[in-house]
Amino acid sequence: MPTRIFPPSSRFWRVAPRLAAATAVVLIAAAIAAAFFIERAYTDQKQREVSVSAGILASTVTAALVFDDVSAAREYVEALAANPEILSAAVYDETGALFASYARTSDSRPPATAGLALIAVGGDRVAVSVPVRHEGKVIGTVNLLSTIEPLASRLPRYALILLLTLMAAAVVAVLGAAQSALAHVNEELRERARQLQDQIVEREKAEDALRQIQKMETIGQLTGGVAHDFNNLLTIIIGNLDRLERRIDAKADAAELKKVAKFARIGADRAATLTKSLLAFSRRQPLDPKPLDANKLVSNMSDLLRRTLGEHITVQMVGGAGLWRTQADPNQLENAILNLAVNARDAMPEGGRLTIETANAYFDPHHAAQAEVEPGQYIVIAVTDTGGGMTKEVAAQAFEPFFTTKDTSHGTGLGLSQVYGFVKQSGGHVQIYTELGQGTTVKIYLPRLTAEPEAEEVETAPDSVEGRHETILLVEDDPGVRENSAMMLQELGYRVIGASTGAETLQTLERNRQVALLFTDVGLPGSMNGRQLADEVRRRRPELPVLFTTGYARNAIVHDGRLDPGVHLVTKPFSYADLSTALRNLLEARADRTAEARKP
Amino acid sequence: MLSVLLSPVVSRAEDASLEYAVKATFLYKLGPFVTWPAHAFETPTGPVNLCVVGRDSFGATLDQAVAGQVIGTRSIAVWRLAAVDRGRACHILYVGTNDPRLAAEVLDAVGGTPTLTVTDGIRDARAKGVVNFVIVASRVRFEIDDHAAAQGGLEISSKVLSLAVAVRPRS
Repeated sequence: MPTRIFPPSSRFWRVAPRLAAATAVVLIAAAIAAAFFIERAYTDQKQREVSVSAGILASTVTAALVFDDVSAAREYVEALAANPEILSAAVYDETGALFASYARTSDSRPPATAGLALIAVGGDRVAVSVPVRHEGKVIGTVNLLSTIEPLASRLPRYALILLLTLMAAAVVAVLGAAQSALAHVNEELRERARQLQDQIVEREKAEDALRQIQKMETIGQLTGGVAHDFNNLLTIIIGNLDRLERRIDAKADAAELKKVAKFARIGADRAATLTKSLLAFSRRQPLDPKPLDANKLVSNMSDLLRRTLGEHITVQMVGGAGLWRTQADPNQLENAILNLAVNARDAMPEGGRLTIETANAYFDPHHAAQAEVEPGQYIVIAVTDTGGGMTKEVAAQAFEPFFTTKDTSHGTGLGLSQVYGFVKQSGGHVQIYTELGQGTTVKIYLPRLTAEPEAEEVETAPDSVEGRHETILLVEDDPGVRENSAMMLQELGYRVIGASTGAETLQTLERNRQVALLFTDVGLPGSMNGRQLADEVRRRRPELPVLFTTGYARNAIVHDGRLDPGVHLVTKPFSYADLSTALRNLLEARADRTAEARKP
Repeated sequence: MLSVLLSPVVSRAEDASLEYAVKATFLYKLGPFVTWPAHAFETPTGPVNLCVVGRDSFGATLDQAVAGQVIGTRSIAVWRLAAVDRGRACHILYVGTNDPRLAAEVLDAVGGTPTLTVTDGIRDARAKGVVNFVIVASRVRFEIDDHAAAQGGLEISSKVLSLAVAVRPRS
């Protein structure tokens, strides 16, 4: 919703300029009127003052006139000289003859006989004539001539009033003009806000469209890459399986058949690696984090690394002293280090040195926010090569899936994205330091393990991996996978009862008390997933061991990217060895517990 | 100029009758500036009694001067007395003598009554009336004893007091 910049009263603000102009005119008119009024009032006031003075003189001079005391009369008259505004004062007797007088200047000398006008004003003078009364008779006249302040000296006062008024009017006018301008600007602003709003909406639409396109591009790139790699691998697998059938038909000998089967197997293993990398990048792989010592893990890898990298690359291990323990999925960490080592090897076709260092590290809140991790203590595993390095552009894209600088025979472009996905899923951070021609360092930061949750579970190798005709309840919704799994289980020496949904499983379980283990897919159709099914089964048969399998992690058994405690999982695709080891471990652990329980 | 000519200037060289003409007018002209207590008059409209005791230097001049004159609403009655008569209420009493002893006797006779006593040229302070005519710079002027006026219950206007060449204040 567009913002309202002004309330609906803006109509007032539109007429405000006209109001201001009218106010200014009224102010000036009022000031002129006030000036005239003040002028008039001033003159009246002066006349009153002079009249009062004349009246006082007339009253006091009475006795002097009566007793013909000219000197006393003159004293009275001259007393008025103290007032500088009185120009002249005169007392006439009853015949109109001048009795006593005072004149400040020669031109203000009073006439010898009593004046005619009672009150006369001329220019800057005011003349007043009042009779002297005694015993009800007029016995003489008093004339006073006074200056009033000249107009010239009064004008500046009026000018000041006028100036102040003009200033006030100007202020009002300016305010009005400013208001008008402001209203105009506001109108423009509103219009622009509207346009901006429209543009934002347009932009958002465009960005949505762009995002959609980018998403489609990414999906296309991903699926294209996966399809390309899978097609290559399927070509290998299908070709070798075809060859296998033809050789069987041709009654080829076992050694040759085994060789062809092995080729098919290599292709399939690579496909499995590919899907694992995809899952790692999408952080959907079920991690099984364990407390571990990175120094030990790295040194255990040294033989593998030397074999993988070849003789022309020197491998150097620098284990940091007092290295903290961390918690991570050891297999995935090995994979990550191996991926980095393979990348380093490819960066050093002419040979060089690979250094793997470990150290303790600390993320302060500032750097932690940049790396999008929790601040605190970390261990760092740094993998450094002396290869060609990367440009900034390449380094920026290095973690993107299927981004590769190598030709297709070298890899899928998923190596670094596996590292990224795994490290992020483990609550860590990964950082590339590279300079063209100077080599590359990749640092893996993993959080320090502060509290050892429980003793490391020691996986004891089972005495025998073969089944002992125990009954396995197999739950799998995909018929092909179910049949394959059933065949593997039977070949491993187990009896198998199959089911495809949770409800069916529970019914089957009721009828078959001899079931020794539940082997279920996590993702099941219907109202019950594998985890819920397992919970329901355990409620009925608490001692029954459960082995999960899944193509990728679901919330059902994985939280925060980690397996829930007590959950046993074999990930798809699994081999005979994976499956048989997992089954035997569970069954023998159960047998031990049962034996314990039976002891008196 | 005219006022100088018209003013009652008196000099030794000039006619003494002019001096007494002026004094005659002063006698009644003082009236409006004096307030008598109400009991001084027998009736509200009764005349103001202007008495002359002792030597009468005015003659007909005084009668002519007061003819038709009023003080407020009262007419003026001129009385010439051989001796002060306490029974006759004199509102204005001219004491026509230069002799301070005689003057003092007259003043004692009317002491405490509401009488505006007027002496003429007396120098002895004890023999001066409420008003005492003097000649100053050839003009008729007067001294006023406001203290004595107050003893008789008279109020004398400040307008006249301000014209007096000397005033003995009330207290």
